[in-house]
Formats: sequence, structure tokens, C-alpha cells
Amino acid sequence: MSPVHSITGRLTAMFALAALLVLSLLGYALDRELATVLERQQVEQLDTKFQDIDYVLQRLRGPEQWARIHAKLDALTPPNRSTQYWILSDDPRIRYGNALAEIVGIRLGANSVGELRIGGQVEPMLIRSDYLPANERHAALRFIVGVDSGPYARTRRTFRSVMLVSVSGGMLLAALIGYFIAHSGLVPLKRLSQEAYALSPNMLSQRLMTAKLPAELSDLVGSFNGALDRLEVAYQQLESFNADVTHELRTPLTNLIGNTQVALSRERSVPQLVEVLQSNLEDLERLRGIVNDMLFLARANLGERPQQLLFTSLATEVHKTIEFLDFLLEEAQVSVRVQGDARAPIESALFCRAVTNLLHNAIRHSEPGAEIVVELVSRDGQAHVSVSNPGPDIPHEHLGRLFDRFYRVDASRTKSGESHGLGLAIVKAVAAMHAGNVFAASSDGITTVGFSVSTGAHEKQNHNPLIS
Amino acid sequence: MKILVVEDELKIADYLYTGLTEQGYSVDLAHDGLDGQHLALEVDYDVIVLDQMLPGLNGLALLKSLRAVKDTPVIILTARDRIEDRVKGLQAGADDYLVKPFSFIELLARLQALTRRGRKQEANELHVGDLVIDLMARKAFRDGSRIDLTAKEFALLTVLARHQGHILSKTAIAEMVWDVNFDTNANVVEVAIKRLRTKIDGPFKTGLLHTVRGMGYVLEERSAP
Repeated sequence: MSPVHSITGRLTAMFALAALLVLSLLGYALDRELATVLERQQVEQLDTKFQDIDYVLQRLRGPEQWARIHAKLDALTPPNRSTQYWILSDDPRIRYGNALAEIVGIRLGANSVGELRIGGQVEPMLIRSDYLPANERHAALRFIVGVDSGPYARTRRTFRSVMLVSVSGGMLLAALIGYFIAHSGLVPLKRLSQEAYALSPNMLSQRLMTAKLPAELSDLVGSFNGALDRLEVAYQQLESFNADVTHELRTPLTNLIGNTQVALSRERSVPQLVEVLQSNLEDLERLRGIVNDMLFLARANLGERPQQLLFTSLATEVHKTIEFLDFLLEEAQVSVRVQGDARAPIESALFCRAVTNLLHNAIRHSEPGAEIVVELVSRDGQAHVSVSNPGPDIPHEHLGRLFDRFYRVDASRTKSGESHGLGLAIVKAVAAMHAGNVFAASSDGITTVGFSVSTGAHEKQNHNPLIS
Repeated sequence: MKILVVEDELKIADYLYTGLTEQGYSVDLAHDGLDGQHLALEVDYDVIVLDQMLPGLNGLALLKSLRAVKDTPVIILTARDRIEDRVKGLQAGADDYLVKPFSFIELLARLQALTRRGRKQEANELHVGDLVIDLMARKAFRDGSRIDLTAKEFALLTVLARHQGHILSKTAIAEMVWDVNFDTNANVVEVAIKRLRTKIDGPFKTGLLHTVRGMGYVLEERSAP
């Protein structure tokens, strides 16, 4: 797990960065403040010493006092020479200190502070000087006070290195704490991931536990469990679908194998063999029908779209279909009434196939004398085709599954004559191919089953029929 | 009538050979694309039945090389029935297209349609035994007496009479009579045939409209058994 892709790693790095930023800012501010304070202190120290000497010199009463002043300056100069005094004058009695070239060259205003480097000194001396013109008590003189800034600079350096160590230490500490916070904060996620890892494809009803999870994760787990729910349903549908296909194919295959074996086990007359072949042919045609319908559904499911959409009146197409089913209607003594009309781009053969399946269903479930109503309504960008017939109500739990492949309301009705349970699945596929949907309702003795097709030729073709 | 069948699946090739020979066609077989191409280019056939997936040279490539030279009608057999495949086949110059699993009756009907093209104008009357169909007046008579038929029944009878002696599958009948070219479980054709039979055969001694179980229906005069 590289740090970039590990949440713990990233959080740790971010904690460390944040600590670095905050501590650096703090250190910088403190350093600035310290510098100001130290500078002021230096200047104050310099001023104090300067004023002391100034006071003494101002009150100088005669040349005999110079020796005392020199002694006092000696006493004031600390052994480490961090403070130094110079007096420059033409009068050798007055002179004090090593009059180096650097000192002699100094020209400073009375109240300003200058810097001076003597010899190889790293840190400069802060200096102040004053000029006293000649008077009756002494010749003209200039006195200079210098304070070594070395100790202050050293203080700052020490402060800076302490600061640097503190900042790095603080950063490391923050990273460490951050790591533990992130680590412990992510424990629920880790647990969740282990739980998800343990999900087994054989236990479809397994779900992730939401009870002990923090709020942020329970949403995720909720959506995840929702996806698992849908997968379970889809998986079960697929399973039962496979079982259904196998079942549907098993009957004709059993017939074929058995019939043929029985026929071949003994000498048969030609008419007997013809009989066997004819019976086989019927089963084979049935197999062919199932295979073709399954292929059709598979192609529709893979997203195949009609190639020759024609914008046309749906009522005309419905009437064409009714004409085709005319003999069946007469035989069943059922009539059909078409209400309304809608126009939509459709592929006629597909549309008529769907309507044929719906009407055929309605005819088979109608009593003689009944009237089937086909209603065509256009709304919300969809043309709706609904086929209603009077008949016993279909229980609610069956309605949603009417369009599933091989789904039969009456589970016992597996003895399949002409229908193999794909009729309404094909209606659904046709609807999907036309960017439409299917619907079913049943109440008060009227059962309505229908589908819709999009009335816009090129819009919303990107839906996924597997999820619809 | 000479037919070339190019099909690598031996069982299919065998039954096509037998079936078509029995129908009076003279049949040549090729089991791969290259043999097929050689025969198709060398010999003049009335129609070629061509499998799309072939070893050596695939059906579409064979068809293209054939079309560069001649216009022999071609029916393509294929196990792939996506619409694009169909379009590709027709664009390559195929005259018709049959998807496996197809029925032999269906293939026969398509072959007849292809080879019949450009035949002489149809007569105004069709005769099947003592049944007379007047296409102009849209009336049918049997043994001299008028048979009362609805428009659809008349259309059905005409289709059967035009193909008399040939078995017509339910699919073919639905397509020719109702222009319905999709599979359906609705037993419309059965019901229609039943009603037509009641009218044209019911009152008479001999039946003309026969059911061939599992295959379809045929209108013909059969000598009494």
C-alpha cells in the first residue's frame, strides 16, 4: 500500500504538514519578536553606558580628574571586553583605549547608533559617540562606547536551533499522533472491508452490518447493501430462468430421444416410422421456436435497436394485427375495440409482434362475448398501448413478474400447449428496443397489460435494458 | 435446375443434398469455401445455397468474388442473425437470407421464389382437381358450385393454389396471406385452414387441403387411397 493510496498514509502526511506550517509560523513570529526585544535591549544597554560616561564628562572639573576617569573606564570594561570605551583627543592625557584606525574614522551623529567591526570580529559592535568641543577644562574630545552584539547574536542562534529542533520534533510528533488518529479512525472501515471480503457468492442473502458503524459509513453500507439486494434478485431471476429454460427444453428433448429409441428398437412399418418422424418434427419445431425467441430476447437485452424506424399511426398497426387475429377472435367469439391513436417511430414487425402477443393473451383469457379494448394514448414522450380484457383479477404479486421469461401466473400450468411463456417477455423486449416500458394492472374484473414506445426518434436510447 | 450447396456441416449438407435431389434439383456439394468458389465460378448454377461460416474462404468473400463475375441468385445460411450480419450479407449481393435453425420447407419456398422470378404471367384461373379459382372475379367453384369465401379465406386459398403440390409452412402462409413476418404462437393459420377446409372440402367426397404434420399444409388432388 503506497502512502498516496493509503488513507492512513495521507492523513499522517497531512497532519505532519499542518504541524510544520503552524510551528514554522509560530517560530518565525517568535524569532522576529525576540530579535526586536534583543535589539532594543542592546540599544538600551548602549544608551545607559553612553549616558553614564556623558554625565561624568559633562561634570569634569579639571584635567587632574582624567586619571580617575580612566580608572573608572577600566573598571567599567568587563574582562571579556563586551563593552569598550574610547576617548579620542589631541591631548594625550585625555586619550583612552586603543585608538584603532576603525575607531578614528567613525563619524556618527550625536544620537545615532552605528555598527563597527574591529579586527576579525564576527559580530559587530554597536557604538555611540559624542563630540565635546574644547572648553576651559579640557581639550576637544570625542568619546565612543561600543557594546559587543555577539552575546545577543548567540542568543538568537541558540533560540533558532532550539526552534528548529522543536519544529521538527513537533512535526514528527504530529505525524505520529496523526497516524494513530487515522489508524484508529479507520478501524471501522477496515472491519467493513474484512466483512465485505468475507461475503461469499454462495450466500446471496449475506449483508454488511450497519449497526456498529459511524454515520459516514452507514450510508455507504446502505447503498452497498442495496446493490447486493438488486444483485440477489437478478441472480435469482437468472437462476430460475436457467432452470426454466432447462425445463422447457427438457420435455421436447425427452420426447425426441424416447420416441426415436422406441421406434428404432424394433422393426417398424413405414407408416409407423412416418408417425414417429412427424411427432419428432413437432417437438423440433417447438425447440426451434424457443431457441429463436431466446435469441431474440438475448439480442434485445444486449441492446440491439430496431434499424428501420418509421413514424406512423399506431392505430393502423393495431388494426393490421387485429385483422391477422380475426379468425381467432371469431372462434373465441370475442370482439376488439380500438380507442384513440398515437404516432411514434416504430419498426412495424416488432410492434405488431408485441401487439399480437398482447391480444393473443387477452383472447385466451376472455370468455365468449367479451370485448377487448385497445387504448392508444400519447403522454410524456411515450405512446402507450394498453390491452384490457374482462377476466378474474391477477393477484398483485404476479403483476410485476408477468413480463419475466417463462413466468406463469398458474405454476401448475406447465403443460404447455402452444405457449411457452415468452410472449410477454418479448413484449417487454420490444418496448425496451423502442425506449419504452411495460405495465400491468388488474382490478374490478378488468386486466390491463400494455407497453409504451418512445415518441421521440433519437432521444434517450442509452438506457440499459438489463436494469430496467 | 442446378443448385450448388456450399456447407461445411456434413449432416446439413447431406440432408440438403437428399432433400433437394428428391425435389428434382440437380445438386452439387462443396464442403469448404475454396471448393465452393471454384465450382461457383466454373459452373453455371440456377441458384447457390451458401453457408456464411466456411473453412478456407468465408461465405461473404466467396459471394463477393462471385458477384464480380456473375449474378447467380444466392441464399445465405447463417447461425448469426444480428441485423448487421443480415445487412452485410445483403450488401455483399445475397438475394436471400436464412437463419439457422431454419426449416427445410422454408428453404424450398425461398428457392422456388428465387428461381421463379421472371416467369411467365400468371393465368386468370387456377385449377386444383375440380376446384376452380377465378382470380379476376375473386370467386371459387368446386364441382361447378360456388364456394362462399371471405376475403382472407380467398387469399389463403389463392396462396395455397399457387403453390399447389408444395408444402407451405405456417410461417410462409402467415407471411404471404397476412404479411406477418415474425414468429408468433398465435394459431391463426391453423384456425384459418380449418375454416377453409370446412368450406372447400367439407361438402365433398375427396379432400384437397391436406395437413402435413409438423411441416405445414398442401393443396393438391390426391388419388384416393
